[in-house]
Amino acid sequence: MTSDASDDSTRLKSSNQAHRAIYAPDSPSNAFEGASGLLFEQAMAQTRMAVCLTDPNQKDDPIVFCNEAFQQLTGYRAEEIIGRNCRFLQGPDTDQAQVGKIRDAIRSEEVVVVEILNYRKDGSTFWNTLHLGPIYDEMGTLKYFFGSQWDVTDIHQSRADERHAKAMAREVSHRLKNVFAVIGGIVNITGRSMDAKNVARKINERVQALGRSYEPTLDEAVLGTIHVGQAIRAVLAPYDPENDRFVFTGNGIRTEPNAISAIGLTLHELATNATKYGALSHPGGTIEVSWAHVKDKFSRNSLEIEWIERGGPAIECPPESNGTGFDIARTLLGHSRGVLETEWEHDGLKARILIPITNG
Amino acid sequence: MKLFLVLEDEPFIAMDLQYAFEDAGYEAVTAVGNEEAIAHIEESDIVGAILDVSLGGGVTCQATATRLAKEGIPFILHTGDLDRVGEHLREIDAPIIPKPRPAEDVVARLIDLIGQPAS
Repeated sequence: MTSDASDDSTRLKSSNQAHRAIYAPDSPSNAFEGASGLLFEQAMAQTRMAVCLTDPNQKDDPIVFCNEAFQQLTGYRAEEIIGRNCRFLQGPDTDQAQVGKIRDAIRSEEVVVVEILNYRKDGSTFWNTLHLGPIYDEMGTLKYFFGSQWDVTDIHQSRADERHAKAMAREVSHRLKNVFAVIGGIVNITGRSMDAKNVARKINERVQALGRSYEPTLDEAVLGTIHVGQAIRAVLAPYDPENDRFVFTGNGIRTEPNAISAIGLTLHELATNATKYGALSHPGGTIEVSWAHVKDKFSRNSLEIEWIERGGPAIECPPESNGTGFDIARTLLGHSRGVLETEWEHDGLKARILIPITNG
Repeated sequence: MKLFLVLEDEPFIAMDLQYAFEDAGYEAVTAVGNEEAIAHIEESDIVGAILDVSLGGGVTCQATATRLAKEGIPFILHTGDLDRVGEHLREIDAPIIPKPRPAEDVVARLIDLIGQPAS
């Protein structure tokens, strides 16, 4: 290739390619010599990757080549680009720490990839993943620096969107927890004024168990599903202040939030029963809680939660009535086609919750 | 009679906690902001406090917490936003009770903290 301008424009017409970018008056004339040089030019003209070359042997390391994609990306024409140092793409919000990395890489002739905010000719900005590295000739002499630019503004935007969604989810979570706390206050105050403090307390315990079972969902509202283990732990936490009564076994399975209200209330009833009569009423009593995905008898994907109490008072015979708490739990589970099975063994209550889920 | 302080901008929660103190045989004054809370600390003989962390408008209970810590008065942080506690009150060493929690549990925890048997 020659740097002669008229020759350049002739070829531009014949090949219909954007060769004008090669204009580099001070660069060695044999820079892109021969057939491979021509292929190189063709490739450079056609690639969507913005590319430029700078000449570190000239004063202030000017750009001596840029391709069509580089012009498209930056909005400048080649004649406005050639001869200038790359820093003309920087602007007020460009992170100087990233610029420093580029400078260091040039000084030490190393390859570096940085993400930098650049400015187009019209003043608009784009996030540029700049890949930069030295090019040597066959003698090992530094000839050029190669820079490839990739517009990653979209990726930056989606990262920002994700951060925003998380912040929103956290805010919603915080507000809902407060709403549950306020509901608790209203129920208690109403119960007191109507001489039904104990009823109010029972309502509150259930409302708050429900609130806790949604806690992990609220914090991860973006995902739309709930981490079963986290929900179980959140519901049961207040019954185990020393954190030494429950043994949890399960993996990171998730389920849709709808099932979780029935599960949360059922666990609350089991824990309340254990606190009054079972393993939690006795020092050293423990409860093993495990969960897994299984198929129920209709081959539906189901969530199974097992509850095994040990170390509580010995059970001589099943209680005459399971109490209204378990009845409520069974009714609720029944609406989701779930079941609660209880076996009153001598060592303690063994219970099993089985509930179909859609995304098992 | 022992007097407690409730710093809480949500009236239902404040009232609920105040009743829970009365049920436990104590008295409690309420405040909706730091100025009011600090005035109570200065004017009365407060023995313990329950502080809501976020008081609305980006204000936290930091000022009251700092004052209580200086006076050596035990307190509990009562909050629905544990992350924000981490951000703003990392240096304050106080038990945290996540909302929602029955008022009497919160009160019992504080009474436990100051070493008084709940009557």
